[in-house]
Amino acid sequence: MKPLESTNLFANSINKSFSTPGMDSSLEVLEDIWFHIMEGEFVSILGPSGCGKSTFLNILAGFEEPDSGHVACCGETVKAPSPQRAVVFQSPVLFPWLSVKNNVRYGLDLRKEGKKGTEDIASSYIKAVGLDGFEDYYPSQLSGGMQQRAAMARALVLRPKVLLMDEPFASLDAQTRYSMQQLLLRLWEEYRHTVVFITHDVEEALLMSDRICIMSKRPGKIIEELPVPFARPRPLSLTGSREFSMLKNHILERLMT
Amino acid sequence: MKERNWNADIVGFILPVLLFSAWYLMTMEGGVPAYLIPSPSALVNVAIDFATGHEKLTPYAGTLLVHSIASVQRVLLGFGVAAAIGLPLGFMTGRIALARESLDPTVHLIRIIPGIGWLPIAMVWFGVGEGTTLFLISLAAFFPIYVNAAQGASSVSPLLIRAGRMLGANKMKLFTTVIIPAAMPSTVAGLRLGLGISWAYLVLGELTGVTYGLGAVMMDARMLGHVEMILVSMVFIGLFGRLSDMILVGSFRRLDLLKEESEQ
Ligand SMILES: Nc1ncnc2c1ncn2[C@@H]1O[C@H](COP(=O)(O)OP(=O)(O)OP(=O)(O)O)[C@@H](O)[C@H]1O
Ligand SMILES: [Mg+2]
Repeated sequence: MKPLESTNLFANSINKSFSTPGMDSSLEVLEDIWFHIMEGEFVSILGPSGCGKSTFLNILAGFEEPDSGHVACCGETVKAPSPQRAVVFQSPVLFPWLSVKNNVRYGLDLRKEGKKGTEDIASSYIKAVGLDGFEDYYPSQLSGGMQQRAAMARALVLRPKVLLMDEPFASLDAQTRYSMQQLLLRLWEEYRHTVVFITHDVEEALLMSDRICIMSKRPGKIIEELPVPFARPRPLSLTGSREFSMLKNHILERLMT
Repeated sequence: MKERNWNADIVGFILPVLLFSAWYLMTMEGGVPAYLIPSPSALVNVAIDFATGHEKLTPYAGTLLVHSIASVQRVLLGFGVAAAIGLPLGFMTGRIALARESLDPTVHLIRIIPGIGWLPIAMVWFGVGEGTTLFLISLAAFFPIYVNAAQGASSVSPLLIRAGRMLGANKMKLFTTVIIPAAMPSTVAGLRLGLGISWAYLVLGELTGVTYGLGAVMMDARMLGHVEMILVSMVFIGLFGRLSDMILVGSFRRLDLLKEESEQ
């Protein structure tokens, strides 16, 4: 299959299994996954626990290699992690020895961009995630939600083509999660990076994404792709609508099979 | 909470006060003779005289500075060599499989021999005094520095490494900006152990015969029967050990701070 012009990231026929030392048979985790995403698209991946979502994201990020298949981003084969495909992990994974500002600057400093410019860019992203005033705090002095916002600023400051997010808000309480979802959508509307968003929360996927991919139980396969038909911005009241609950029920049924 | 701390402080003082009182009582008229245990006041006088040289109570009056400089220099040099070799080797062993497999078994084999067991052969190789002292300090301080640096580097969270790579760090940058900072707590613990051991092996080495140094003073004072000078030297070695540890820890704190500032 020749990908379309505006395809940003694609994975063709990905297979992956893990062999455990001491065991004869290996664990088949991903089976013939075909996935593509357009520039600026927001796609969620839903799937039961243990079906291989994180494994797939790690392959897209370049952290892990598939056993077979091909991953490419912006016309280049993915071989290793790159700031083009920034990752936001489930836990924030900030560098604990660096202040918020220096965490956000980390990638910019590696690029050796002009010192003055770096400072301004970093501040503007810290502001964008609502952490102004906390520049000199260390990660351990921040709440979980604030840490995750700092991690988002650290990824976005590099202007990635693709943002890969692995259940980024799963560990947050309901209110914080809602405000983080709003923040992510705001940033996405502003910067228009492509987003691959892994979640196990069906409502979250329906409220956030353009398209949803449903994965089967392990070995994970994409068993259904459905576009999300709701216009943006999507108010929270949408969750009460008939169409929303019908879609939600449909997805839940597919997840259960 | 506050009250607790206050109580803990009091509790911590009980034993030293008791020991000090016992010491004082023992050395009173009719107690243990002064050539075995000098009285606290005699010790303080000799210590002050050791530093200032005003009263010429012992042949060592006023020589504290010379001896201290000699000892501190040896510790710095020996510890410096141990750190200069132990840190890079430790970091490499912690991260690079080839380095670990080729290096680690040998290092641990050598480590089985207690440091003190190297004394005779060191004296054969380096002669008594200076060379032996430096060799023993470097050798003994190397192991904790190496082991802890390796331990710190090997237990860096794989997620931090993924984060660094994803943000654009190449292998070299990953080492300097992620692995070494993440390994710092364990590494500093190793350096502190190494520094403590350096002082121990300093004394051992100096006892073999050097002209200047606190260990030399101890050995010399023993032969001349100045028991209070032995104790005074012990106290100063303890003080220097503690002080050097504080400087080490303090400078790592400062270094971190400076790093933060210079990046602003
Ligand atoms: N490095 C590894 N070595 C061996 N097995 C692994 C490894 N990583 C993942 N697995 C296995 O692969 C399967 C899928 O794991 P993965 O983390 O991708 O699931 P997931 O869909 O992200 O689950 P969750 O929703 O619970 O996060 C699991 O059965 C897991 O045990
Ligand atoms: Mg997962």
